[in-house]
Amino acid sequence: MKTNEVTVIDYGIGNVWSVMSALKYLGVKAELVSSPERISNSSTLILPGVGSFKKGMEALESNSIDKAILNAVINNKAKILGICLGMQLMGSYGSEDQGSSGLGLVANRVDRFTAEELNGHKIPHVGFHSVEFSEKEGLFREFGDSSDFYFVHSYRMHVEGMDGRYATCTYGTEFLAAFQVGNICGTQFHPEKSQTNGLLLLRNFLQDL
Amino acid sequence: MLKKRVIFTLLYDSGSFMLSRNFRLQRVGKLDWLQKNYNFSQIAFSIDELVVLDVSRNERDEEKFCHHVRSLNDSCFVPIAAGGGVRTLDQVRTLLQNGADKVVVNTLLSEDPEVVREISIQYGRQCIVAAVDVKEVNGEFSVWTENGTVQQQIGLAQWLEDLQSFPIGEIYLNSIDRDGTGQGFHIELLDCLPVQAEIPLILAGGAGIPSHLGEGLKNSRADAVATAHLFNFVGNGLQKARIELLDEGFDLARWDVQLANSLEEVLA
Repeated sequence: MKTNEVTVIDYGIGNVWSVMSALKYLGVKAELVSSPERISNSSTLILPGVGSFKKGMEALESNSIDKAILNAVINNKAKILGICLGMQLMGSYGSEDQGSSGLGLVANRVDRFTAEELNGHKIPHVGFHSVEFSEKEGLFREFGDSSDFYFVHSYRMHVEGMDGRYATCTYGTEFLAAFQVGNICGTQFHPEKSQTNGLLLLRNFLQDL
Repeated sequence: MLKKRVIFTLLYDSGSFMLSRNFRLQRVGKLDWLQKNYNFSQIAFSIDELVVLDVSRNERDEEKFCHHVRSLNDSCFVPIAAGGGVRTLDQVRTLLQNGADKVVVNTLLSEDPEVVREISIQYGRQCIVAAVDVKEVNGEFSVWTENGTVQQQIGLAQWLEDLQSFPIGEIYLNSIDRDGTGQGFHIELLDCLPVQAEIPLILAGGAGIPSHLGEGLKNSRADAVATAHLFNFVGNGLQKARIELLDEGFDLARWDVQLANSLEEVLA
């Protein structure tokens, strides 16, 4: 379903201007929305965010935005793209700051890179890095075997148990860089900061799903 | 391995963008003029990061500068580092809320390192870029602040060593002597880095032609190179430079610049 209007969820976490700009560049109408009612009735959602998992979940819960997202995505089959922390919050559990439950849109959990896994690599993991795609359809249409995207993160979602299309990145250890399970999508990287690679992925999300 | 980077630096003074030569400024034009006459979006689609510095010689208008940072988000889909005159946590918050991903600090590093620490606690060290402006005086490399007008007592080698223990994400090392000259980077500055340097380094000042960028990138101590030279890399100059660098085997991020046109308004 082609999208002409996008709801970017505003819950006070992180920088949203570049997401708005990227959507504008692609020619879609985007609005920053914090009202749970409006989120609940949207057909296309983007959940941005940077920072801590726990604070992110608290911000979503304090305004009942969490319930609005679940209603839109599960009951109304709205499509959703979580970016960076936004993707992590879609998982089942994040261990940051003594741990908290996520939205549970996917079963995967989110943990810090361990020192053994990093093996000398530094965190946060910052910069353009190659991402490998499991298949090149849906969210990943028109990509080659691997493409470069911009990352900034210290926690990552595990690949194990991902039941859908996905892409991985390796930084000491392999982690989930992006996924698409039906109408539910997430990217650990920032498509809005990844030049035409990111714009292409956003187009796929908006045009094809 | 993280990829090496090519960075473009925009210099801003009181509402206009500037060309700089040895830190002396010449007005180029406003943002829309830059788009029209310099095809800035072509430049923006050929770089890994954008740095935008408020180098206003008179009093800074922070609100106006933030407005420009926000406008740059519209045509620039890479991380943006913004700075110039940053002294407080409030200023950092405002820049980040207006679309900057990182902030550039200089004088603050020596004047009030505690604020630098606070920024790193609040936003993470990866969002702090430490700018170091260098001039050769009597055969010694010296460190300058306040738009290159105030000489610090400390020598470059000592300062670069001290900075290794600061909570910062990277160092932007700029040669005042080479700035805007197009004569090539002052590669010898890299020899002042401590042997165990761990903080990523951006080399700036002097690039005039594509091969200069390559000379910087092939030095193992430089993680990135930056140019602020609008005239030398005008139009598709940077795009061509990037292709040459990739052909020479430099490990830069890859994307299809041509897609930019076909994706613009594709969903409208």
